[in-house]
Amino acid sequence: MGNLLPIATMVVAGLLSIAPLHIGWVAAVAPSFTLIATYHWTIYQPALSPGLALFVIGTVQDLLTGGLPGETSVTLLLCRAFVLSHRRYYADRQFPVMWADFSLVTFGAAFGLWALHSLLSAQILELRGPAVSVLATISVFPIVSFLLGRTQRMLIGTD
Amino acid sequence: MPLLPARRAAIERISTALLVAASAVMILIGKTDQVVFQSLRISVMDAAAPALELMSRPAAALDVAAERVHRFLAVYRENLRLAEENQRLLVLEQVALRLSVENEQLRELSKLVPEPGTSFITARVISDTGGPYARSVTVNAGRENGVARGQAAMTASGLVGRVVEAGRRAARILLITDLNSRVPVIVDGSRERAILAGDNSARPSLRYVDGGGAVRVGDRIVTSGQGGVLPPGLPVGLVAGVDGEAARVEPYAVLPRLDYLRIVDYGLGDALPDPLSVAARGGKRTDASGSGLPPPRH
Repeated sequence: MGNLLPIATMVVAGLLSIAPLHIGWVAAVAPSFTLIATYHWTIYQPALSPGLALFVIGTVQDLLTGGLPGETSVTLLLCRAFVLSHRRYYADRQFPVMWADFSLVTFGAAFGLWALHSLLSAQILELRGPAVSVLATISVFPIVSFLLGRTQRMLIGTD
Repeated sequence: MPLLPARRAAIERISTALLVAASAVMILIGKTDQVVFQSLRISVMDAAAPALELMSRPAAALDVAAERVHRFLAVYRENLRLAEENQRLLVLEQVALRLSVENEQLRELSKLVPEPGTSFITARVISDTGGPYARSVTVNAGRENGVARGQAAMTASGLVGRVVEAGRRAARILLITDLNSRVPVIVDGSRERAILAGDNSARPSLRYVDGGGAVRVGDRIVTSGQGGVLPPGLPVGLVAGVDGEAARVEPYAVLPRLDYLRIVDYGLGDALPDPLSVAARGGKRTDASGSGLPPPRH
């Protein structure tokens, strides 16, 4: 049961990212809960959050939101690859360092998506929406990460 | 946190590379051919509809509770406003009755072809746009409720968008603010035609204004009916700003706060055939409305 926790939380994160919250600006700048969950589980339980699961979750999210199929999965997979490539670095790191690192990942992902969409639509798209979305994602990271950590300790234990 | 064993790490790298490549291929295919993913999208939307509905209920309940508290606090002021509005509406009712009779008589005289009947259903929004690059919502009504591709989605205030995918029990609405939305409109009053083009910002822009005519702040924008996808005269918004040749339109509908939508069937269903059936017949894979509307982003 506990082994399914990372995937289950990523599915819930995906649904939360597209749930109608009816708060004026939130729909356009909703935090990417899926990215936070991916980052968290790749650090603490990479074996329980495989790339294939990220691919499926990202693709389903794109199909549901009307986005380009593949844009979310490629973001999540690259985030996972980045974290895995220097996983040694995360051992015994303080939370503020991880937060700063996640901020870099979020900026990178948002810029990549912005460049991709600008390229595909052959125009420079406005940066305000993605920028606020990045700030929203970085802002909620401590809370979501804390909740994921507590759930992890309850159901799986520490890695 | 033990590190992954070397062999496992190598497999991990290869599988990640393959999945990233698969995602990139999907992006390219999705951008160049909307039909490939359409049936998959509809199936996923139908399958996820119950979960989305469940997730949207707490938010909807909170919204209703907040609205009730707000109304309770404003009940006295609201009563005064409604009394005033009632007086105005009584006068307008008389005017409408007179115009209705006059309209009937003029139609009789000019042998005008009657407009097709209009029917609508009300559906709840169960998923929001979910990101800065797509402006669409999903509603909890689909083909089994009479929803079909091309139908207009409205709130009481004005046009919200149109149905671009209709599953069995859910449908996706492309909002007028989406980068791929193009709606033929007219400037009410001057009757100048234009295209309302979304660009993912809150205020879509007016393009290709007939004869480059002057558009002024406060001008009312309604659908023109050109192309036969949407009927003429649906309220869209007001011109909120003019910067050089570009005019921005503030939609009447509050697009970031959509909870219930009216999906209206104006009897124009044939204007927008399903691209899947067009593709199956070997037809060109474009939005077949003939209105010059580009296909929705997929």
